[in-house]
Amino acid sequence: MNEQLLSVGIDMGTSTTQLVLSKLHIQNLASSFSVPRLVITDKEVVYRSDICFTPVLADNRIDAGQIQTFVQEQYRKAGIRKEEIQTGAVIITGETARKENANEVLLSLSGFAGDFVVATAGPDLESIIAAKGAGAHTYSKEHSTSIVNIDIGGGTSNLALFADGELLDTGCLDIGGRLIKVDRGTHEITYIAPKIKQLAERRGFQLALGQQATPADLEPIIGEMVKLLEESVGLRPPGDFYDTIVTNKGLKLDRTIPCISFSGGVADYIYQEAAGDVFQYGDIGILLGRAIAASSLTQRMTVALSAETIRATVVGAGSHTTEISGSTITYTEESFPIKNIPILKLAAADESGSDEVLARAIADKLNWFKLNNDLQRVAIALEGKKSPSFQEVQKYAQGLYKGMSELLEREYPLIVIVHHDMAKVLGQTLYALLGYKKDVVCIDSVQVDNGDYIDIGKPIAEGKVLPVVIKTLVFN
Amino acid sequence: MNEKDLKSMIESILNEMVGNKAEQETVAAKPAQTEATEAPVVQAKAPNVGGLVQASMPVEEQADDGECLDDITEIDLRKLLLVPDPEDREGYMKMKEKTPARLGVWRAGPRYKTITSLRFRADHAAAQDAVFSYVSEEFVKEMNLVPIATMCRDKDEYITRPDLGRQFSKETIESIKQHTTKQAKVQIMVGDGLSSAAIEANLRDIVPAIAQGLKMYGFEVGNILFVKHCRVPSMDVIGDVTEADVVCLLVGERPGLVTAESMSAYIAYKPTVGMPEARRTVISNIHSGGTPAVEAGAHIAELIKTMIDRKASGIDLKL
Repeated sequence: MNEQLLSVGIDMGTSTTQLVLSKLHIQNLASSFSVPRLVITDKEVVYRSDICFTPVLADNRIDAGQIQTFVQEQYRKAGIRKEEIQTGAVIITGETARKENANEVLLSLSGFAGDFVVATAGPDLESIIAAKGAGAHTYSKEHSTSIVNIDIGGGTSNLALFADGELLDTGCLDIGGRLIKVDRGTHEITYIAPKIKQLAERRGFQLALGQQATPADLEPIIGEMVKLLEESVGLRPPGDFYDTIVTNKGLKLDRTIPCISFSGGVADYIYQEAAGDVFQYGDIGILLGRAIAASSLTQRMTVALSAETIRATVVGAGSHTTEISGSTITYTEESFPIKNIPILKLAAADESGSDEVLARAIADKLNWFKLNNDLQRVAIALEGKKSPSFQEVQKYAQGLYKGMSELLEREYPLIVIVHHDMAKVLGQTLYALLGYKKDVVCIDSVQVDNGDYIDIGKPIAEGKVLPVVIKTLVFN
Repeated sequence: MNEKDLKSMIESILNEMVGNKAEQETVAAKPAQTEATEAPVVQAKAPNVGGLVQASMPVEEQADDGECLDDITEIDLRKLLLVPDPEDREGYMKMKEKTPARLGVWRAGPRYKTITSLRFRADHAAAQDAVFSYVSEEFVKEMNLVPIATMCRDKDEYITRPDLGRQFSKETIESIKQHTTKQAKVQIMVGDGLSSAAIEANLRDIVPAIAQGLKMYGFEVGNILFVKHCRVPSMDVIGDVTEADVVCLLVGERPGLVTAESMSAYIAYKPTVGMPEARRTVISNIHSGGTPAVEAGAHIAELIKTMIDRKASGIDLKL
C-alpha cells in the first residue's frame, strides 16, 4: 500500500507571502503478519509559488482579498483544484501575525485554501516549522549532533534547537532584514522599527528617518544586531539589551551548540555573496547577511547548509506540519475535519493515581477552558502506559469518563489523545462506558502539550489512520 | 621397552611437536617445570581479562548464606554496552536501540565474555522451558477456559508428531460439541503451541479486550476452548465441529532468544480441515515488547468483524 497526500503550505510573513505544494507518501511498514504501522515515508515539494510581498491595506490591515487571489492564481498555475488538496497549513508569521485582522484573515484563508488546511500562528511554532523546512532536524539526526537553526526574516529571527532529530528548545528575537528600510533610489532611511531605534539611542548611534545611508553608516547598528544573535546562541554572555530584543523567549542555553544553520530571506546573503546594489530590496537584509557571515556565528560554529532558505517556513508548513496518528485507533464519529481544538494535557501525577484522582484532575483542569462559564471544545491528552494491562485501561477509561462528564453534555464527540500505543482499546472501553451513544475519537502515537491545538482530518489509508496537525494559535 | 627408552621416545616426540622454538627457549626438555613457571603468569593475567571475572571472585570465597545471585536476564540488553572506551558511545547506543540483536558484547580473547555466554544460555533455557512446560491447570480454571487436548500423549510426541497435534479423539469432539454453541458467529480458542509462557503472560489482558471489542459490534464470546498440545491447524477441526463463522486461535509462538512470551492470533473465516494455509490471517508478535496484548485484542475484535462482514480471511481478505 502506498498512498499520497497532497499538502499545501502558505506562509504570510512580515515581508513576503508564498505557497508550496507537497506530496506526502504514506506506507504501511508492518509485515502482513502484524498490526498495521503506517508512517509518512517521504515528503517532496512538487510546486513552489512566486514570492510576493505581503499585501497590506492603507490602514495597516492585511489585504485578505489580494491574498486569496494570489492563492487562486497559484493553484491555477500548478494545475490543481482546491478539492484535491487533502491537508496543509497556513502560517502567519512575524509582524503580520500582530496585525489587527490577523486571526480573521488566517481563519478565512485556511478555509479558502482547502477543506483540511489548518490555521497556525505563534513564534515557537514558526521557529520549529522553519527549522524543519531548512532541514535542521534531519541534519542533527544524521550527524548525531545538536544544531540551532536561525530563520532570519524581515521582522524576526526564529531560533529552534534540535539534538539528534528531537526538538529541544525554541526562541525568537526581534531582529530582521526589514527593521530598517531604505529607499532604493535615494538610499534615504524610510523606516526604523521601534526596538531598533531604542537600541541605536542607547548606543548613541546617529540614525534618523530621511538620513542618507551608506553601508558604513549602518555598520554599527547592524554590528549590534549581530552581537545580539551571538548572545542568543550562547557565543557571548547576554548584554543589557538582550531581554528587550527577545520577542517572547530566548533559548535556555544550558549546553554548547556545535552547529548552526540559517534560513529566511537573509540567509541567502549569509551563504553567498550578493550581486548588485546592497539596497536593491530597500532594506538592510543584504548587509545583515554579510555581517553574520563575517561574525563568530559562522567562524566558531560548524555551518550546515540549509535545504531551504527564504522558503524554509513555507516548505515547513507544507511538508512538516501534518502527522499521522497511530495505526490502531478508535473513532466512531465521521464528521471530519475537526478543527482548532485546544488541548488539556494531564500531568504525570494525575495519571499515576486511581481513576478518582484522574477524574478529579480532569474536572478541575477543564475549568481553565471556560470562557464566561461556557466550556469550549477540549481534547484531553494523556501519556498512557507502555503495554498496559486490561485493568489499567479500565482505570484510564473510568477516570476519563467521570472527569469529562461536563464535556459529555455537549453534542460533539469525546476526543482523547494518548501518547503510548493503547488508543484502540481505550477508545473501545470508553465507547462501551458511554453505552455506545456518544461518539469517541481516541488516537495515539501523537505528542502534544498544554497550549497546543489539534486539527484532525478525514481518515486515510482505508480508514486506518487519521491525519493530524498539532499546532499553536498565538497572535501578539 | 624399558623406562629409559620410553623417556627418550617421549622427549623426541615432544621435541618434534614443539620444534625449533623449543630449542631456542630450552623448555621442551623440562615440560613439567615450564608448566609450573608459566601457570602463575596465566593466573595473574586472568583477572585482567574482563572486569566481571574479577568481580565475581570474592563472592566465591564467601560462605553460603542463602543469598541468590542476581538474575542476569533482568538486564536490559539494549542498554548494556560492553565495549570498553567506545569511539562513539551515543551512536552505538542508538544503534542498539533499534535492534534486539546482541551488539557491542566485546570479547575475552577470541571468545564471548562470561556475562555474554551466560546470558545467551539463560535466554536459550527460557525458550526451551517455554516449549516444554505446560500452561498450569489453575490458570486454565482462572480464565474459565474449557480444557481439551489433541491426540498427542506428551510433549515429546507433540514435538515429533505434528500430525497428531491437529487431531482430536472422538470423545474430545463430543466434549467440544457439548461445551460450545453451534454455528456461533465467533469461536475463540487458546492453544499452548510452542510457548506456554506466552499464554500465561498475555491471556489475562487480551481476552477481555477481544470480548469488549466484539460486544461493541454486537457479537458474544461464548465458552473459550483451551487446547493442550495444540498445532495451528487444530482450529480447522474446531471450525468443522462448531460451524462457527470465524475461529480465532490464540497460540504461543515458537520462542526465540529475544522473548519467550510472544503470542500469535490465527484467525480464519469458516476454517475447514484441508483448507489452504493462505486462508488464515495472522497477527503475530503480541507481547509486552511488541504489540501490547490489550491493543492487539482491540484490533483482533475489529478484524473479526471485518471477516464476518466480508465473509473472507487470509489473502482473500484485502485489508
